[in-house]
Amino acid sequence: MAATATLYHAQLTGWERIKEFFNAKFINILALSLFLLLAVFLLFPIFAVLVKSFQGPEGFTLAHYENFFTHAYFFQSLYNTLLLGLINTIICVGVGFCFAYMTTRGPMALRKPLKIVAMIPLIAPPYLFALSLIILFGRVGLITKTFGVNWEIYGFDGVVIAQTLAFIPLAFLMLENNIKSLNPNLEESAYDMGATEGTIIRTITLPLLAPGLLKAALLVFVMTIAEFGNAAVLGGRVPFLAPDTYTMIVGEADFSMGSVLSVMLIMPCIMIFIAHNYLLKGKKFTTIEGKPIASEPRKMSPFVKVPFITVTFLFGFTIFICFAVVILAAFVNILGVRNEFVMRHIMDFRSNMAIWNSIRVSFIAALVGGIIGTLLSYVIVRGKFVGRNLIEMISLSGFALPGTVIGVGYLIAFASPPMKLTGGIMILALNCVFRFLAVGVEAGITKLHQINIEIEEASWDMGATFFTTFRRIVLPIMFPAFIAGFIYTFMTAMVSLSAIVFLVSPGYELAAVTIFDAAAYGKIGLASATTLKMIMVVILCMIVLNLLTKFTNLDIERKGGAA
Amino acid sequence: MGTNEQPTLILKDIHKSFGKNKVLNGISIEVNKGELVTFVGPSGCGKTTLLRIIGGFTEHDSGEVILDGRSIGHLPPNLRDTRICFQNYALFPHLTVGENLAYGLKVKKWDKKKIRERVDELLTLVQLEGFKDRMIDKMSGGQQQRVAFARALAFSPKVLLLDEPISNLDANLRVLMRDEIRRLQTELSITTVFVTHDQYEAMAISDKIVVLSDGYIQQVGSPIEIYDHPVNEFIASFVGYVNFLPAKIDSIIKETDAAVVSTEYGKLEIDIEQTEFAPGTEVLLVIRPETLKIAPSNGTVTTQNVVQGTLRRYIYSGALAKCHVVLGNDKEVIVDIQDPRDHVPLRENEKVDVTVSRNVHVLKKRA
Repeated sequence: MAATATLYHAQLTGWERIKEFFNAKFINILALSLFLLLAVFLLFPIFAVLVKSFQGPEGFTLAHYENFFTHAYFFQSLYNTLLLGLINTIICVGVGFCFAYMTTRGPMALRKPLKIVAMIPLIAPPYLFALSLIILFGRVGLITKTFGVNWEIYGFDGVVIAQTLAFIPLAFLMLENNIKSLNPNLEESAYDMGATEGTIIRTITLPLLAPGLLKAALLVFVMTIAEFGNAAVLGGRVPFLAPDTYTMIVGEADFSMGSVLSVMLIMPCIMIFIAHNYLLKGKKFTTIEGKPIASEPRKMSPFVKVPFITVTFLFGFTIFICFAVVILAAFVNILGVRNEFVMRHIMDFRSNMAIWNSIRVSFIAALVGGIIGTLLSYVIVRGKFVGRNLIEMISLSGFALPGTVIGVGYLIAFASPPMKLTGGIMILALNCVFRFLAVGVEAGITKLHQINIEIEEASWDMGATFFTTFRRIVLPIMFPAFIAGFIYTFMTAMVSLSAIVFLVSPGYELAAVTIFDAAAYGKIGLASATTLKMIMVVILCMIVLNLLTKFTNLDIERKGGAA
Repeated sequence: MGTNEQPTLILKDIHKSFGKNKVLNGISIEVNKGELVTFVGPSGCGKTTLLRIIGGFTEHDSGEVILDGRSIGHLPPNLRDTRICFQNYALFPHLTVGENLAYGLKVKKWDKKKIRERVDELLTLVQLEGFKDRMIDKMSGGQQQRVAFARALAFSPKVLLLDEPISNLDANLRVLMRDEIRRLQTELSITTVFVTHDQYEAMAISDKIVVLSDGYIQQVGSPIEIYDHPVNEFIASFVGYVNFLPAKIDSIIKETDAAVVSTEYGKLEIDIEQTEFAPGTEVLLVIRPETLKIAPSNGTVTTQNVVQGTLRRYIYSGALAKCHVVLGNDKEVIVDIQDPRDHVPLRENEKVDVTVSRNVHVLKKRA
């Protein structure tokens, strides 16, 4: 064998040897390049923030942190943020569970409508709810004026409400998935042994869901404390870390304090990321599976049905109203003041340009993100090198990292040569690519796990080179994952605000930023119209996805969550 | 088993459809006290649905479920004196063995001391003493099956419902657990409904078998009745292999209750129990492979009830040898030889004599 191998190599020309080398090592080269990209566009900015927070005029200093902890204002901001996260998490997981229980165990007729209602916020940016709350409860709000309610929406309560409504879908989706994978026979067994529905939920359903509940809670917590828009628009004089970071950087150009705030924002996320991996390790209940079980609808006990229906209907109705008033406000001159039908908000030039820019940025981000995500998942699953887990962890972490921090990081990291990217469309797109990689990567990993590696081996066996195999076998198989990554990145990039807000420059204004500015300055009509157009683009995107799924039998999983 | 007593469980004319799909078409069954009745049938025959209707998990469209003289069709599962044991055991994975057994007792607010005693009793019953504090996923499949069974017995239910309880076990363990279930069931005299798709399991465990197909009851009877006196071709071929031989009644011999029938391959004389067969009736002989005898042929048929054929294939499998014999042009019958080592040697592709027993079952041929 060895002799023939040498002989074979001896016959190769220089060029052929290079080709041979690339064929053999392609996956490692690919992995290395992808790792470099992740390092530059994800790790480096975070690192830059960290460095900046310790950097004084004479090198290393703790002065900025001292500053942070000695000012009651900053401490209050941290406290508010964590409290907001806690309250939001409890409500979202609780309400999410009610919705998930109703759509999987509730009356058949209610399952579909409730599911749609619970998912609706996904098609809109989270700060839509800030906008609707202003329309309803603002100083000239519909409810404020009609009923003379004197309730100040600007403040902590307002932010909590807006955030809760925005992140119910996230909790709902995770919990619904978890409940679906519960074997209904377990609950039926408890029922059979005399338990009532309330007892079953308390002693069987909830304990079995514990890992899922914890996971949902951690994710909601991270997402809500990082969410920028609602707190910025509705926070008023109440400080929160994310908007404060924005004020520090954009308002006062204090990058050091901005970095300290960012570090404060990212700490809980990192702690939760670790806790999540540590707490949930091996925490999965395995049960013996028999024949496939369909959950038959059973009569709900009124003691469960009444409270669950009350909660879901209340929140469902609120979500519905919030959407309705935004749509309304888009076509009314000044809602509540001059109630006449106008098209000027919809036709607004600045708004249309912003939407167009957003589409361009999102498209670039989606294309690049889809490709990188697909390639990443391939090297993670099929590669045989040290550090695969690390690559996987980094590429999935963008999902949980607060957008504000990445925004600040990009601003610091790419402000000066050799990597000057600020002020342009590329930095916006790249930012979205690396923040929203997770879904594409996960879709790719799932897809690859479904495919036996023997398919690729068969191709090699029949004489194909690595490149040919990759091009002819792997890529077509991975296409659905690419599409999933593409669509997801596109949709999230469209609505994303928290990082983008730091990076936009004149001439490249994006829809999210336009909405934010308009809402902050009370231009409700403009904000609503832009939001509406944004929603339309997202819906269009989902229709395309559905059509693609239908006509190509791609099994694309949509995942929720955006910031 | 008091036959004069009223049955413990009565199903009266149960109908059930899922959408347009009719799953059960008027099922009526009686289960006596202490009996083990098996619902058996191919998948999709409605047996599990019927079991879930008894348990209260599926609502039936019409008909009645009567337990101990009381109609229970309207009650939810938690108010019925039935206990179900699911195919996947449905043991609570977040609880220990002991907590699983105690679950129902706690729900019913039993006294703590009484619960502890009952749990110990149950563990002894299924020979799992010492496993009380184990988590479920640390138990083997067979052990989990025992826990599930014990849990279902915690209250001594009026009717025990077993939904393919041992189909997740490997073949050897399955036989072991089957006999174990039967032993406990008889010992404790628990009225039991057992669902399985395995005919042999049904034969081995049941007092009474209900064969279902397409939502209809095909036959109800003891294992012997089902095997020896199937009412139709479906039942006949459902349990074990059977050779069907078309024939026509020639004459009835009153004195011996015998009939002479003619087949394509010769005349046969058989016992006949039914009187409905007049000469001239087209019938189907139901011949079990083990009732046939086979011997090398010397060329001429001299003895009664012998048909001649060619041995096409001889498949030896230790305790049994299966002989595929071709009668006439292309009629294949299978003959089983028990303990083939003692049998006269047979060679493939040679002529053989097949002796048909007088004791064959006769079905009227359907038009």
